[in-house]
Amino acid sequence: MELMNNVKIKSKNLNVYYGEKQALFDVNLDLNEKEVTALIGPSGCGKSTFIRCINRMNDVIDICKVSGNIEIDGVEINDKNLDVVSLRERVGMVFQKPNPFPKSIYDNISYGPKIHGKGETKSELDEIVENSLKKAALWEEVKDRLDEPGTGLSGGQQQRLCIARAISVNPEVILMDEPCSALDPIATAKIEELIDELKKTYTIVIVTHSMAQAVRVSQKTGFFHLGKLIEVGKTEKIFKNPDNKMTQDYITGRFG
Amino acid sequence: MTKEERLKKRHRAEKRFRFYGLASIFVALLFVLILVHNIFSKGSSAFMKTAINVEVFFDQELLEIKNGATENQILEADFYDITIESLLKVFPAQDLDQENQLIDLFTTDAEIEIKRAFLENNNLIGKKINLEITASDDIDQLHKGNYPRDLPEDRRRISDFQLIIYDNLVENKKIIKNFNNYFFKNGDSRDPELAGIGGALIGSFYSIIICLLLAFPVAVLASIYLEEFAPKNKITDFIEININNLAAVPSIVYGLLALQILLATIQLPRSTPLVAGITLALMTLPRIIIPCRASLKAVPPSIREGALAVGASKFQSVFHHVVPLALPGTLSGTIIGLAQALGETAPLILIGMVAFVVDIPSTPIDPSSSLPVQVYLWSESAERGFVEKTSATIMMLLSFLIVMNFLAVYLRQKFEKRWN
Repeated sequence: MELMNNVKIKSKNLNVYYGEKQALFDVNLDLNEKEVTALIGPSGCGKSTFIRCINRMNDVIDICKVSGNIEIDGVEINDKNLDVVSLRERVGMVFQKPNPFPKSIYDNISYGPKIHGKGETKSELDEIVENSLKKAALWEEVKDRLDEPGTGLSGGQQQRLCIARAISVNPEVILMDEPCSALDPIATAKIEELIDELKKTYTIVIVTHSMAQAVRVSQKTGFFHLGKLIEVGKTEKIFKNPDNKMTQDYITGRFG
Repeated sequence: MTKEERLKKRHRAEKRFRFYGLASIFVALLFVLILVHNIFSKGSSAFMKTAINVEVFFDQELLEIKNGATENQILEADFYDITIESLLKVFPAQDLDQENQLIDLFTTDAEIEIKRAFLENNNLIGKKINLEITASDDIDQLHKGNYPRDLPEDRRRISDFQLIIYDNLVENKKIIKNFNNYFFKNGDSRDPELAGIGGALIGSFYSIIICLLLAFPVAVLASIYLEEFAPKNKITDFIEININNLAAVPSIVYGLLALQILLATIQLPRSTPLVAGITLALMTLPRIIIPCRASLKAVPPSIREGALAVGASKFQSVFHHVVPLALPGTLSGTIIGLAQALGETAPLILIGMVAFVVDIPSTPIDPSSSLPVQVYLWSESAERGFVEKTSATIMMLLSFLIVMNFLAVYLRQKFEKRWN
């Protein structure tokens, strides 16, 4: 059996409630370092809720309660005393709909480093902006118009800008919540290529509705249904020979 | 019903709806036109005043001062004799009664006008100059065609003798119309030809500035806190409902509040722009908070999430991203709130701004009037001259409101950023 990478993120008995409604039930899931983990499942199954626990984005929602444990590098993050700002510096996020700030391309990227005190001088910032855009495969397209508004780019470019923005603070983990759902196939292909490249440096968790995308980009896949993690394993195995009947039905398109 | 009949019916309904819509807009515009026409036709003449060309001889014998007198000497000197002498030369009067009628053709400030001319050039002793002395309100209105001269003499304010003089002056081209600088420069007066909105303008200006300084920061901070930081619980809901209620409270209630608290309890000086500004600020506060919160709410949550996801704190996400995006809406809401405050009359009447104030206020704690209150005051006066002054003041007030509203629209369109 092929040797798996080290475990980066570990969730233990994770339960999430939105008010009275329970959204996640005892999720135990390990995510490996420098690998892409895809989370699949029908709408409302809790995939997005799960990844929003990893950077504590659920804190924003008043009625949301999280219990159980999530560890990153063995350190508990679901802890009231933990500073979410430094957590989010380590765990970046890309959203379903591209959401660049209505500012220039340059300001979109330099914002993160600036607030974290990285890039003290203009030249350091320039370098971070250039590197982030290069890593997000956007540099060649925008290098001559860094002062134009980020909202003026095409959808696919905007999403890569958001990826570059996430990379700019040099995180360890990047969470992607259906990053291609608002994009056309060509833009999607570009983002997928990019994900393949990024996994050399970052641990990536991607929520997707496209089975084909999960197969193409991920090494490990978790299948969620009604808030429960039904099955998790190597992507190849999940899609070729799943253990669970429900997983089988979902990937073959019998429900979902 | 066949398919075609249904289609026809639908088209007829659409046409009918279009007609109703156009008709309503037409009716609305018609009312605006009637209003504007009414104000303009009555008010525009107030920007001109009637004056009578008078030859003034600065007779050394009648004046106790010499050429090159100091300003103080001139101010203390008596110009009354010279004034009477000059005015009587305009037309031959037979007796004392006719002389009085002749003098009544001129403003009561004729002496001051002559003195002012001498102040500008104090080498006039022994010289004759022609001065344009402002006519009395009655002559002013007669000359502007607002006064009926075909009434019987005992029902007219102008006597037959005065009409003879007037006709003679018109014939000799001694009656002129010039720009009414008194209207902008002077404070209120019992004499319509001397009354102006200078005091009201300054009073309104001070009031609005104080209102802005008090209401804007409080409203913006309150909206930011309520919209972005306040926990969603019953207390917040309660505050929210009450802000909406306060915005609907009749303005006169704020006047009563100010009367009791600011004037009776704290004993601030009454009739002053300071008290007016505080009262208007209280009234405007909820009216600014509501649009401020709406513009904060209009910033899409994805922007907040984007900022939080790169590790911005709640505070940073609000002040670096949300507030700048909400600023155009906030500013235009504030300007519209101030425009409402500028036109507010009822609370100012209660805090004593309805007092008759002749002096132009030099500080916000001097007694003063304000534009809408001046309209109210003059609209109650019997003299014909005040009718046109009332309309002219409304024109000034309306033009300020229009400028402010345009500014609000401009700010919103110019600086509003678009996001998808």
